[in-house]
Amino acid sequence: MYQEYFSPEHHLLRDSVRKFVLREIKPWIDRWEEEEIFPRELYYRAAEAGFLGLGYPEEYGGTPADIFMGIVYAEELLKAGSAGLVAGLGSLSIGMPPVLKMGSEEQKNKFLVPVLKGQKISALGITEPNTGSDVANIKTRALREGNYYRINGAKTFITSGCRADFLTTAVRTGGEGFQGISLLLIESSTPGYSVTKKIKKMGWHASDTAEISFVDCLVPAENLIGGEGNGFYGIMLNFQRERLSLAIMAHGLAQLALEEALEYAKKREAFGRPLVGFQVLRHKLADMATKVEVAREFNYRVAARMEAGLDAVREVSMAKNFACEVCDEVVSAAVQIHGGYGYAREYLVERLYRDSRILSIGGGTTEIMKEIIGKLMI
Amino acid sequence: MNYELTASQREITASFAAYCRAAILPQADILDTADPGEAARLMRENLRKLALAGYFSCLLAPDMISRCTAGEELAKSCGATFLAAMSSGISFGTPVFIFGSDAQREKYLPALAAGNLVGCLAYTEEGAGSDLGGIITQASRQDNGWFLSGAKNLVTNAPLADVFLILAWTGKEAGLEGGLTFFLLDRDTAGLTIGPAVSTLGLRGAPVAGINLSGCLLPDEAILGGQIGRGYEQLLQALTHVRLAIATLSVGLGVAAMEESTSYAKTKRAFGKPIGIFEGVGAKLAHMFTLNDLGRLMTFKAAWATEQNDPEKAVLAAAAKIFTSEAAREIAHLAMQVHGGHGYLKGGLVERIYRDARFAELAFGTSEMLRGEIAKASLDPFSEG
Repeated sequence: MYQEYFSPEHHLLRDSVRKFVLREIKPWIDRWEEEEIFPRELYYRAAEAGFLGLGYPEEYGGTPADIFMGIVYAEELLKAGSAGLVAGLGSLSIGMPPVLKMGSEEQKNKFLVPVLKGQKISALGITEPNTGSDVANIKTRALREGNYYRINGAKTFITSGCRADFLTTAVRTGGEGFQGISLLLIESSTPGYSVTKKIKKMGWHASDTAEISFVDCLVPAENLIGGEGNGFYGIMLNFQRERLSLAIMAHGLAQLALEEALEYAKKREAFGRPLVGFQVLRHKLADMATKVEVAREFNYRVAARMEAGLDAVREVSMAKNFACEVCDEVVSAAVQIHGGYGYAREYLVERLYRDSRILSIGGGTTEIMKEIIGKLMI
Repeated sequence: MNYELTASQREITASFAAYCRAAILPQADILDTADPGEAARLMRENLRKLALAGYFSCLLAPDMISRCTAGEELAKSCGATFLAAMSSGISFGTPVFIFGSDAQREKYLPALAAGNLVGCLAYTEEGAGSDLGGIITQASRQDNGWFLSGAKNLVTNAPLADVFLILAWTGKEAGLEGGLTFFLLDRDTAGLTIGPAVSTLGLRGAPVAGINLSGCLLPDEAILGGQIGRGYEQLLQALTHVRLAIATLSVGLGVAAMEESTSYAKTKRAFGKPIGIFEGVGAKLAHMFTLNDLGRLMTFKAAWATEQNDPEKAVLAAAAKIFTSEAAREIAHLAMQVHGGHGYLKGGLVERIYRDARFAELAFGTSEMLRGEIAKASLDPFSEG
């Protein structure tokens, strides 16, 4: 029985995102990459076009949508040729789900609503300078003092962190281990909150990445998401969607690199024929296309599982590893097909090569994914 | 068979390694982020320092193994400096050394070895990369010499070079073998203009630019070795040396990435222990070691064959370049994985090597072209190598 994942509504959305990309992003993306930031008002424009609220309930200004609407949005946004932009504009997709799923009504109105309007920027703060994959070991301390928590610590690799209005932050309210972790919304205007560094990265240049420090930040206790000690659960809940997003981003970037390489190989001539006239090149393109196709179809399948509410921890870990490794291979092959020009900044594949590399590190490294898969097998 | 280096080779390598760590390594990150003008200025200084340390004399000496061991140390410290030095000392220096007339050798080589002169090789064009038949640059016979017109691109060192070794048609009807000739062109020649620096993925400290030749007038003495129509043959011989150098670059980058990862794996802790204790991380380090060792052996073997003028030298150099360049990419990938998110950050060795290593599979014959050459040699029973 054959079933399509995408309905006419999905195609309508695809069309409208495509137009948005051509109108609002494509003309300036090279400049934003160069300047390592995109204008804040793009959040507002994306909200106005109805994209930021996709998948959120109407009462908070969202538009209910299935998981494939989100996929369509991400795939089309990637056509702008900058994974950094997609990540930066999409930082709410990791910052807000804990608020939606575990937050109070007041928190949803105060934090979620302005984010979906594009008025406020949300970011997620888990990783610390000494703690990445080992999430249960985070050190940022939250001490209860009356109606406040006093926060001391630091976070790093925070996407959109340089200008986020608030950070969904993993803090330690209890003892050691994962049971002691809670999620707290910390506003960037809180005294003691500071962006200590804008991190320079190999790729994802259009998105800002921050190192943030908290020195005696007093945060209202009402900003606690869920109860004390529920943080780890919230973080894990988030991870499944984040990993799917990274897998989708990987097949999207790989698709773009494949298209660029194919175009180039059709146009570029050597020894009296276009590059596609050489069997080695055609076979390379065939391998690229095969890998991208398999990655994409598996990603869709995993998304469908998640949409149906089935457990997909194992599958999404596999999808992330497979798609991200495919992406690295395909962007490398695309550079190879471009020859020396693929090494030059003026060709898109050079950027895709840099942008791809973080996908198998962020949101859980390939090795951590393998740990998850392996442990579920034995 | 004896794999041991001679006492003098060991001595040269050890002292040069110490020199590179002290004088070149601190420059690597600065060069990577400098704007092109500043990079050109800093690179000139680096090349001058390397000359004083005897590196260019080593590149021009017959001992090919020392060239590899010293080169590996330089590449470990700074890939971009290796590339700029290679462009001057090998891409330019080797053809002048092998084919140049006495007057040309006298004019260029002592100055090059002393670090007072920087050279470069310009043969790639917009429409001619691997396929030299697409070259447009043309040298036409005049009463008083030659008139050179055309353009070259992706010329490493062009922004800082004093002299350019340029491949041009002198008789297109004769075809590649017979129709191409190398010319030596000084920077101040009227009609030569250097284009803006091209921004690249990696090796960013080694400035690259296109050049334009609009009617440069050259005397007969500018023809490399005075040999008209021998350019293709000269280029192929030079390319064996250049490919060996690229293999050396790849090994150096691979070793640097491995060493950085090994030391990180000893100090970085997760889940209560140093990450090197995890088998998955340990296996990566072991794989890096294996690839580096194999790559170095292939490079030495090809270098030895070149020194002996073995008929297989070109094929061995091509195989060494294919293997080491792909290994360097893989090692850089593993090194970044060992470093996690920290590996993706600017200012770190691993991030730079990840970008730098990618050059080797593209330049001076893509892996695809080289595989084609090896296949051709393997399939042709009458091949002389």
